Amino acid sequence: MKTKKNIILLIIFFAILMVLPYIISGYWLRVLTQTFLFGAIATGSNIIIGYTGYPAFGNIAFFGVGAYVTGVLMTKYGMSFFYTLPFCALSGIILATLLGIPILRLKGHYFAIATVGVMETIREIIDNLTELTGGGLGLTLPIMQGDPAHIYKFFYYAMLACMVFALLVSFIISKIKFGYALRAIKVDEDAASVMGINTPLYKTFAWALSAGLVGISGGIYAYWLSYIDPNTVFVNSYSVKMFAMILLGGAGTVIGPIFGAFILELISEIIWSKFIAIHGMVLGLLIIFIILFLPKGIFETFRGGFSFKKLLTNLRENSL
Amino acid sequence: MTIVQILVNGLLLGAFYALIGVGFSLVWGVTNILNLAHGAIALLGAYITFYMFQNWHIDPFLTIPVSFIATFLFGYALQRYVMNRIVKAQILMLLILTFGLEIFLVNFMTTFFSADFRSVTPVYAGNSLMLGDIVIPYIRLAVFGICVILCVSMGIFLDKTWRGKAIKATSLDIEAAMMTGISPAKIYALTFALGSGLAGVCGTLLTLTQSFSPNIAGGLTLRAFIVSILGGLGRIEGALIGGLLLGVLETSSSYFIGESYKNAIAFGLMVIVLIVKPSGLMGRKYYAEVKH
Repeated sequence: MKTKKNIILLIIFFAILMVLPYIISGYWLRVLTQTFLFGAIATGSNIIIGYTGYPAFGNIAFFGVGAYVTGVLMTKYGMSFFYTLPFCALSGIILATLLGIPILRLKGHYFAIATVGVMETIREIIDNLTELTGGGLGLTLPIMQGDPAHIYKFFYYAMLACMVFALLVSFIISKIKFGYALRAIKVDEDAASVMGINTPLYKTFAWALSAGLVGISGGIYAYWLSYIDPNTVFVNSYSVKMFAMILLGGAGTVIGPIFGAFILELISEIIWSKFIAIHGMVLGLLIIFIILFLPKGIFETFRGGFSFKKLLTNLRENSL
Repeated sequence: MTIVQILVNGLLLGAFYALIGVGFSLVWGVTNILNLAHGAIALLGAYITFYMFQNWHIDPFLTIPVSFIATFLFGYALQRYVMNRIVKAQILMLLILTFGLEIFLVNFMTTFFSADFRSVTPVYAGNSLMLGDIVIPYIRLAVFGICVILCVSMGIFLDKTWRGKAIKATSLDIEAAMMTGISPAKIYALTFALGSGLAGVCGTLLTLTQSFSPNIAGGLTLRAFIVSILGGLGRIEGALIGGLLLGVLETSSSYFIGESYKNAIAFGLMVIVLIVKPSGLMGRKYYAEVKH
């Protein structure tokens, strides 16, 4: 019964999102588009981070690669936007598969930092492939023709579709045997292996799927921004934000990362508009407080009602 | 440029990397915290030196104790009152927490000290030692000496003093350490403070050899990480060798392959070492790794 109620709530939520562009201002349209972007990145990354328990800190690498795939295909090969998206997904899947075989043998911190290393290496390579990517000068994509209000709506729906697609993939995975295998790997990889799960294959497949989803969001982002350079698409703070969103909403849940994205992105937007100069400092503090007070995620902590006592219990529970 | 000059430049740079790696590696090895704010803490030391030089014309080398003490106290308070609160949660939480700290510190410095590139140039900055064709600036030589001395004294501290031994004991077996009357909360704080203090000194030395801005924090942290990976965790001699190796590799690759690929090569090397030998080139499992 409870899941049925949740699904109905979710459908109402998305129905509201569908009609919102006709009501709200251009500013909030942009904020929501950005929120969907993070919702898609967080949901995609949750497959490897939440389900499988591998902290892919540098997953933004696939976002950057996806953005460049769309950028290069559109400017150098004159391909139209929608046709580039499958290539974005493919680039993520291929890269993650190739990298996954060696890197997924690492665990914990080592895996996290290896993914950061991979991201930085890819960023440097793209920065140096000047002929193809424009290097540090960046790449200007063809700007979409038409009325600005129409373009705003177009990207709103495109990003919403991307997020919903990521959500569907994540939901399906959580229901099938593959998803249970990933959770088994998270709990105890050796035991999972003994039970007959081909752990290297499953892990690599999980990472490839997550990379593909993140890659698509990168492609849409590139067209939305219409100008990309290595610094705008390989952003370390996006990795942190994505991670904070997953943790805030609850790692390993289907809908958690999206709630995390909404809460964190809307809060940081409000902070951004109120304190422009110290926005970054406030964001840093916010992340520190989320970790200190909500290490289990907002839903897990407040299951059965909100209380400050629970926050303090959290603080005491993990103290040395 | 001759091969010998490249090698010398690499070694001079490498000692600096060793020092920044030692603190990082010690913290990681003992408390199992990957401190992503290490580079940002180092820059705090750099700005202390910069402002003392600019406002009062104090020689940069004389400000080393000031930046050490300031960052030491900052690190102590941070670990004791913030990070210790979350030590028992998943290790990832601390990773994100320190990244939050990094974002905070970098933005703090950008807001209050501006994002401009700064540098400190005392009057003797241009003087060099000439050995045949080989040029060694006196400042770099002094920086090299200070880095090596600090790394070695850190090793002596860990091996010979009671507190140093307590740090090692805590890292090996926290329960057994508690039974002998060691307070892990204090030892963790001391370890983090030492790591931060050494980072602060690195910041001071950094002002003498290159220009800096808040944005280079991430690059410093990643270099500290590479040194720890190359050398193995919590090992002083490992960090020294890892640092020198990275320094030589960086200088020679930017000479032979090109400046623009310097970072890609360093990161690539790190990933390869991680894959081939996760316990570091110096190779054995040590400290916190034993437990995990």
